[in-house]
Amino acid sequence: MELVSLVRLEGVAKHVILPDDSRLDILRDIELAIAAGDHVAIVGRSGSGKSTLLNLMGMLDRPSEGAVWFRGEPVRKMRKGKLDKLRGRNVGFVFQQFNLLAGRTALENVAMPLGYASGRAFWNRRRTATAMLERVGLGHRIESTPEQLSGGEQQRVAIARALVRRPALILADEPTGALDVETGGSVMALLDEIASEADAALVTITHDLHVAARARRHYRLEAGVLTPFDLSAPAAGAAAAAAYDRIDVAPELAESVSAGPVDAATPVDGAPQGAASRPEVETETVEVAS
Amino acid sequence: MTGLIGALGEAWSELRHHKLRVLLSLIGIAVSVGALTAVVALSEYQQQQMAEQSDQSGGRPATVSISAMTTDGSPMDWQAFDAHVNDVSERYGFSYLTRIVNPVTAQVQTPEQVQTLNMRLVDPAYPVIHRTPLLEGRWFEETDAELLAPPVVITEALWDVYGRPDLARGFALTLTGDVAGSYPVIGVTPRVYDGDNEKLATMLYDSYTSRVDALPADTSVTWEVWMPEDGVADIGPVLAMDLRAGVDKSVDVTVSRTDWASRPEAQSSAAMFELITGAIAGLVLLLGGLGLVNIQLVAMRQRIREIGVRRSFGATGGRIFTSVLLESVVATAVAGVIGIALAVAILRAPFVLDMFQGMQDIPPFPMRAAVTGLVAAVAIGALAGFIPALMAVRSNVIDALRF
Repeated sequence: MELVSLVRLEGVAKHVILPDDSRLDILRDIELAIAAGDHVAIVGRSGSGKSTLLNLMGMLDRPSEGAVWFRGEPVRKMRKGKLDKLRGRNVGFVFQQFNLLAGRTALENVAMPLGYASGRAFWNRRRTATAMLERVGLGHRIESTPEQLSGGEQQRVAIARALVRRPALILADEPTGALDVETGGSVMALLDEIASEADAALVTITHDLHVAARARRHYRLEAGVLTPFDLSAPAAGAAAAAAYDRIDVAPELAESVSAGPVDAATPVDGAPQGAASRPEVETETVEVAS
Repeated sequence: MTGLIGALGEAWSELRHHKLRVLLSLIGIAVSVGALTAVVALSEYQQQQMAEQSDQSGGRPATVSISAMTTDGSPMDWQAFDAHVNDVSERYGFSYLTRIVNPVTAQVQTPEQVQTLNMRLVDPAYPVIHRTPLLEGRWFEETDAELLAPPVVITEALWDVYGRPDLARGFALTLTGDVAGSYPVIGVTPRVYDGDNEKLATMLYDSYTSRVDALPADTSVTWEVWMPEDGVADIGPVLAMDLRAGVDKSVDVTVSRTDWASRPEAQSSAAMFELITGAIAGLVLLLGGLGLVNIQLVAMRQRIREIGVRRSFGATGGRIFTSVLLESVVATAVAGVIGIALAVAILRAPFVLDMFQGMQDIPPFPMRAAVTGLVAAVAIGALAGFIPALMAVRSNVIDALRF
């Protein structure tokens, strides 16, 4: 039987109409499938549409064209309330700026998503949140507000919050963007570890090579176009590293370098190119996940 | 269920987080709810006082007065008519019936001189019907009529003439003339108003009539019956017919209602007082509500990101709306409770009770006032929370998360 992927983006495009009536394309023809337990990194410059892509995967936004499928169900057809509940149940967000609720304790922040659950999850929310904070090593700071926590600690609280409802999908938007290299490394290690413990798929958006290297599959997003990229392919490794490093410094250089690795990666990673190739993609992702 | 509890919890935690802001915005609400509650309660007090005062003159609702007179100028046979009234009353099963003769005069020995004293003759039901208060001692009992030394109840002014002697030690009025004798004083009624100087003694009708051959020629007797208010409209005319039935054609019997409840103007004036003061308090409340809307709207701009975060973690639009609305409602409800407590404190203050001096039954803090205050507070909260809640739901999650 064909395995149903967790999230699947099919020919997704997103554009907005600007005030002067011109159309701005943010994303173009995105094909992406994320399976349970998958770990994907998406790299791209600022303004390349990373956040929009993440919002589409998180069902916060709807595509202008194409379709988003969640567990085989079309998101387009879902009622708003159901979609909100589905998102709360299955998706955890980690933001670059942490986005913790100011003035609330770490415990209140982590318990917040459980406030939108029902039944036992709702009534046990403080206990569950305490356990989760202990898991991220902040058991002794549960009564601290974000203002009293360091950046790294805040992001750990945010990770605990994202994972407290045991989501199937974790979307991290530049999770280390506001942290120094060392703290960022330990935060990412923790995020990786907890995500794989919970068997949750993790999608990380980053411009940091080291963060991207933790993922099993890599994509590059540029000018709204998503292309797969194999960081682990021996031939492409060095070039890719160079490309990543240059992305921030000299984009036009990076573009010319990255053209090679994209081609090289295609057979390995199997970018979804249409209906015919989809089963192959899913087999591929399952293999990666197992 | 969990949704509502969750929303309430969120609202409460939000309020705790912004204590100062909430506090400042709620002072107005608390004060106006307090004012509103106090107005309703004061109006209740005022009505009670008016009712008690008019009970003292006209009797409690429903008091029916029966009087009789001859139309041909011949003297009225009070004894016969009294027996007739008693017969009829027994048939109706009235439990509060009193004869009233006001006044008859007697000569009394005061410390300085012998002087004329007005006396009122009643039955024991009289002070019940008229809610006549006592300063000291007790009212009449049924058995008092049989005592050889008939008891009397005097007014405070008369008591003062004797230097307010202790009733328990045995203080008696000494009357001379037809009803000469010693009359122990068993009770003192207080002054009705400051400077009330009426010197009056109240005696049982039977005590008086057993000592004289007949009532003085120019006096007249009236009867008063206290009956259930809801039946009075039906009983009245029938009672009048029955009373007229057994008497001579030359006797004209009048049956009329004397209590205040039969006069609507007292009630309408109380309603008017409540309406005007209530409207002023309502306006103040509305102003407080506007202030709250203002503050919540400004606060909402700063909270767009928080709402975005909540939305991304599964909060539905309805849930966001409810929690923001509940923030205002919970806040104003708390302010309302504070306002009501304020009103209770004010109404218990000595200077307010002084205003209603002489009230016998101080009504308990009226539930109606508390409910009115709380409902007003919650309503203004819902009104003030509606626009910010709408704004919170309308905000775009994606834009909210971006900045």
